[in-house]
Amino acid sequence: MTTAGSDPRPSPGPVAWVISAERHDGVLARVREVWQYRRILSFFAVRAVQSLYRKTYLGAWWLFIRTLVPLLIAAFVFGEVINVPSGNVPYLVFFLAGQLPWNFFDGPLVRASRAIDSNRQLLTKLYIPRIVLPLGQMTAGVVEPVIIAAILAVTLVYYRWADGVWYVQAEPRVAAAFAAVFVILWFAFAASLFTSVWQGRARDMRYVLRHVVGFWVFLTPVAYPASAVPVGYRWLIYLNPMTAPVETFKWAVLPGEEHSWPWFLYTVAVTVVLFGSGLWYFARSEGATMDKL
Amino acid sequence: MKERWEFTPHHPGLVETSADVWKHRGLLHLIATRAFQRIYRRTVLGWLWLVINPLLPLAIRVIVFGALLGVGSNGLPYFLFLLGGSIAWDLFSATLMRGTRALEMHGELSDLIYYPRAILPVGNLAPALVELAIKLGVFVVALAYYALHDGRFYVRSDAALLWGLGALVLAMLFALAISLFTSVWGEGTRDMRFAISQVTGVWYLLTPVLYPLSQVPEQYRAWIVWNPMAVIVETFKWGVFGVGAFDAPLFAWTAAAVGVLLLAGLVFFTRAEARMFDAR
Repeated sequence: MTTAGSDPRPSPGPVAWVISAERHDGVLARVREVWQYRRILSFFAVRAVQSLYRKTYLGAWWLFIRTLVPLLIAAFVFGEVINVPSGNVPYLVFFLAGQLPWNFFDGPLVRASRAIDSNRQLLTKLYIPRIVLPLGQMTAGVVEPVIIAAILAVTLVYYRWADGVWYVQAEPRVAAAFAAVFVILWFAFAASLFTSVWQGRARDMRYVLRHVVGFWVFLTPVAYPASAVPVGYRWLIYLNPMTAPVETFKWAVLPGEEHSWPWFLYTVAVTVVLFGSGLWYFARSEGATMDKL
Repeated sequence: MKERWEFTPHHPGLVETSADVWKHRGLLHLIATRAFQRIYRRTVLGWLWLVINPLLPLAIRVIVFGALLGVGSNGLPYFLFLLGGSIAWDLFSATLMRGTRALEMHGELSDLIYYPRAILPVGNLAPALVELAIKLGVFVVALAYYALHDGRFYVRSDAALLWGLGALVLAMLFALAISLFTSVWGEGTRDMRFAISQVTGVWYLLTPVLYPLSQVPEQYRAWIVWNPMAVIVETFKWGVFGVGAFDAPLFAWTAAAVGVLLLAGLVFFTRAEARMFDAR
């Protein structure tokens, strides 16, 4: 594409360039492509995870510290200074159980949104199915919540020792936690099908996303229980599709929490719609976006 | 006539570097312009981000912490309380971030021309100062609104305001002092920038900006004063609003510590400068 532009000689006349590649259009063809290019997908995933800690002195420890310290301090400020209620469990346990599902959304979304923007160099040089990029970048975002899960496990053991109580469910409904995480990841991916295209087009998206996610965490009962919201407004907070899975996750893991399956199904429905339209949007606009990179 | 050239390493001291910075002050304009462009290059809304970026988080926090969680504010309207604390804190964090990234951001400029590197953290400050001006503008408007609405003028009008000004200057000098170290350590890599944004995020929570110091449980309050920014922000709020804790000797100690750090930073930076030239 740049061949005509980079040629310093005056153009000899009207020359038409036709560059074509055999490629099937449509959403289904895009999805099949992902399977064909699955090895590239795993390559991107590994690279994205490595980029988290490579070239740092502390290596993988850095990742751990980076997750642990802010969480502990935020839990201190919210629990001890601002005195946010936390139901029947210590605030730290409650806070971690909220941050865990939230981080399955936050990190993957932010990273996947960067996929096209930060791979400019690569995308202008060779063809890969672009949808592989947000998927691969998302993987790096999963590392952090997994670390939080480990921290939560250690905290639970500590409270078993200090208070003599397991602040955790050992019932079959723990399985619902996995369903919640799955829905959250799916929702994040569906959203990134839009945001990654937008961010590839305009840098604004980086700022927008930062503000939106920074606000969204407070609209979701992560640091506070949904029961702290006045009853009249509670349906309003459930309109936020992240509320139901986060509440379901807490309900599945912690004792004495409430949640609602109908609202969970609402989130699933929103996710399905967003995912479908996202795939369509991504497939439709990737060509136009690539030309403008 | 015979010409003789002699090449020897030159290590300028503190005084010589300062003089050199002053001589190259014309460059400040160029560096500031580049720093601004960095914010809104390739964006649709352009320079509007310069206004949105500092103000939107403020609005969000007022809604969440003031309205939703009902955090205390020493009897002030929460918006004014948070805005006051943010003016001091954001000046610190923006200066620190921009100072740290100064060498990394303008590195390619150094390949082309000579100038004292110490000019970079200073010139890179410009967007932080503009953000400060925007917040001060909002602050004045908010004061006028509350004066009409509550019939009360929340800002003091005595000499104590000078303490507030002192705290503001100290916040900036403190950030500049730290960035003299961090910019050198972070030159050429992006790690330092991420580390700094992580550290400032945590530091923000530990500094009484969102909440008043009086709301911190008694047993921890003695610890939080070890955070120089807590002292600076509290002094600023005391100087401006007349609320919160004020401890003149503690503030003086903090100022002295910042002064020492700034001197050490300048010495460190000028020493590192010569080495960095060779490494490039």
